[in-house]
Amino acid sequence: MIWLTWRQHRPQILLTAAFLAALGLLLLGSAVEARLYLAEHAPPGCPGAATACGDLAVGLAERYDAVYSVFGWMPLVLPALIGAFWGAPLLGREYERGTHRLAWTQSVPPWRWLAVKLAVLGGAVVAGGLVLSLMVSLWRPVFRDGIDSAFGNIGVFNMVGVAPAAWWLYAFALGTLAGAVFRRTLPAMALVVAGVAATMFALFALSDHYAEPVRAELTGAVVLDDPDARLVRAAWVEPSGAEVAGPAAAACPRRVDTGRSGRNTDAWHACLFAEGYRFAVYYHPPARFWRFQWTEAAILLTASVAFGGLAARRVLRRAGG
Amino acid sequence: MIEFHLDRASGVATYLQLVHQVKQALRLGGLRPGDQLPTAREVVASLAINPNTVLKAYRELEREGLVEGRPGQGTFVRRAIGGGAPLAEHHRLRRGLEQWVGQAREAGLDQEDVRALFAAVTADAFTEGVA
Amino acid sequence: MTPVLETTGLGVRHRRAWALRDCSLALPRGRVAALVGPNGAGKTTLMHAVVGLLRPATGSVTARGRVAFMAQDKPLYDGFTVAEMLAFGRRTNPGWDGEAAASRLAALGIPPGRKVGRLSGGQQAQVALTLALARRPGLLVLDEPLANLDPLARHDVMRAIMAEVAERELTVLLSSHVVSDLVDTCDWLVVLNGGRVQVSGDIEDLLAGHLVLNGPVELADGVAAGTRVVAAGRAGRRATLLVRGGPVADPRWTSRHPGLEELVMAYLRSPESAALPRPAGVGG
Repeated sequence: MIWLTWRQHRPQILLTAAFLAALGLLLLGSAVEARLYLAEHAPPGCPGAATACGDLAVGLAERYDAVYSVFGWMPLVLPALIGAFWGAPLLGREYERGTHRLAWTQSVPPWRWLAVKLAVLGGAVVAGGLVLSLMVSLWRPVFRDGIDSAFGNIGVFNMVGVAPAAWWLYAFALGTLAGAVFRRTLPAMALVVAGVAATMFALFALSDHYAEPVRAELTGAVVLDDPDARLVRAAWVEPSGAEVAGPAAAACPRRVDTGRSGRNTDAWHACLFAEGYRFAVYYHPPARFWRFQWTEAAILLTASVAFGGLAARRVLRRAGG
Repeated sequence: MIEFHLDRASGVATYLQLVHQVKQALRLGGLRPGDQLPTAREVVASLAINPNTVLKAYRELEREGLVEGRPGQGTFVRRAIGGGAPLAEHHRLRRGLEQWVGQAREAGLDQEDVRALFAAVTADAFTEGVA
Repeated sequence: MTPVLETTGLGVRHRRAWALRDCSLALPRGRVAALVGPNGAGKTTLMHAVVGLLRPATGSVTARGRVAFMAQDKPLYDGFTVAEMLAFGRRTNPGWDGEAAASRLAALGIPPGRKVGRLSGGQQAQVALTLALARRPGLLVLDEPLANLDPLARHDVMRAIMAEVAERELTVLLSSHVVSDLVDTCDWLVVLNGGRVQVSGDIEDLLAGHLVLNGPVELADGVAAGTRVVAAGRAGRRATLLVRGGPVADPRWTSRHPGLEELVMAYLRSPESAALPRPAGVGG
């Protein structure tokens, strides 16, 4: 059965492996090049807080962006591809070619056929996701030491930790179920792409509720000094201590800014703080990285198991176990 | 060894066609005592018919005493048929018949005509003989 | 003798409608059974229930021994080579007879390295049949094995099946909507019509047990009253009756036994008629 799984899904497995290998080479090359650049150009004490380090930081950031722009779309596209090419054909292709009537009438019972396929391919998908995560996690610190944004940036968040593995597995399970429902590959592929995108936006919205946000009251600034935090919401706090959607119009006059200038808004903020207003910020600190990773992974894993179970039910209800 | 063939349009039951063909071969010397008949598997592998049909034909031949089944070996011819005339006589008669058919064709008779004429003459001759 | 295949009160529902209802069948060992009926009669559904691809809503299926199935259109993995197709069989079936399979295909001149998708229809049918036979089944279920094949390939496939039947104890259930394909090859008949079993029995017995009567049309009603008429027709002043039972004494009537195709057509045209063994026993 494992041989059969390998033989039938060889193209997907090989292509995915080749892609990961190519990506690994790209990241390795980029990291090595960045290290050489650092060694050649770094003034003493850099990277650090010194102003002389600024140029170096800009140079590094350019190098980072050049590669990041290549794979910035990966958190959305890769799971969609996995779902479309690993998940959707698993049952969809068997049904549309009629080969399920061949595969499920051999001595190996259909439940075992499905179990081996789901286990082997699901395992491979998880492994692939983890390899991607590992490569990205090794590559980023070369550029982003100390200014990490693996938590606040949802794109990066979904490429490190256990997130890629969870997303890949989720897309694979969704594709498998879609193939079982439609009994055709192409509609199942379309559903996977739409489903993965919808899930990603839904979980992005939901992620604010993974934990109770931390509340901080700022005086003198309306921006958190931690760029990697995830802002949930913010509100003004009147001198009395009551939170309001907007400060009373009488408190400070507000003029509309023109062009790109923020001068009037800054003046308004300063006036409000002077009047005793405070700015309340609800946010998730970056320390919650793993908590959020595991929460998201648990949600996706539960959904994957549910999808796999539904697909199995559809297969086994028709085919006697 | 005999090779069977089928005429599906003839309306004659398949097992009877096999019986007739064995008898024909026994008459014309194609099969002789001691010869083995093809196994059921060999027959069905060439004719695509149910093996039971072959077995039924062989049982019929066995019942008539023409062949015998030897367990584990196959089915073998026990005796020839055809009035006991020796084989040389068969050859002589056949040549005569061939000549006659040639003449019939020259006279413009087609296959059907020849068959009908032959059948009529045979029938008359043997009826007289019996009477 | 214990039947190889037995179904009792089998019912299968597709969504709302019954695809099969109350099907009771018993197929004796060693038989080559023809499953015939018009399109949509439930032949494929019955076969899928027998091989476990469908779970019946009512009744039961009992198959004694290993069952091998060749589905309609002979599905194979197009991208596999012939050798890989055999490896598929070996790895999904304990007791796989790989040697027989390889030599069968070699004898047919089918190259093991060729992709299945690039074989001719007849060759694909032979590969599918080889896969089924190499499992050494006791019951071989074939859904329209001759459909979409040219006459030569039909003959070749049928020869292969018959040779296997001759070689060892194998029971075959094969479906077709072309009855003439089954003359001379099948010895058991199952007619399925509208999801119900209409006829089931030994073909020789069935043909011997039916007569085609031909006589004056004005006497037809009298004759019909004394026997079980399956189908009736008239041409001018003559009436033709296909009846189940003995001949008529009246000399104005001629009688003969029907052919297989004639018998099947007569039953299919009159779905209310049935020729089934008594519930207790199996004929033959």
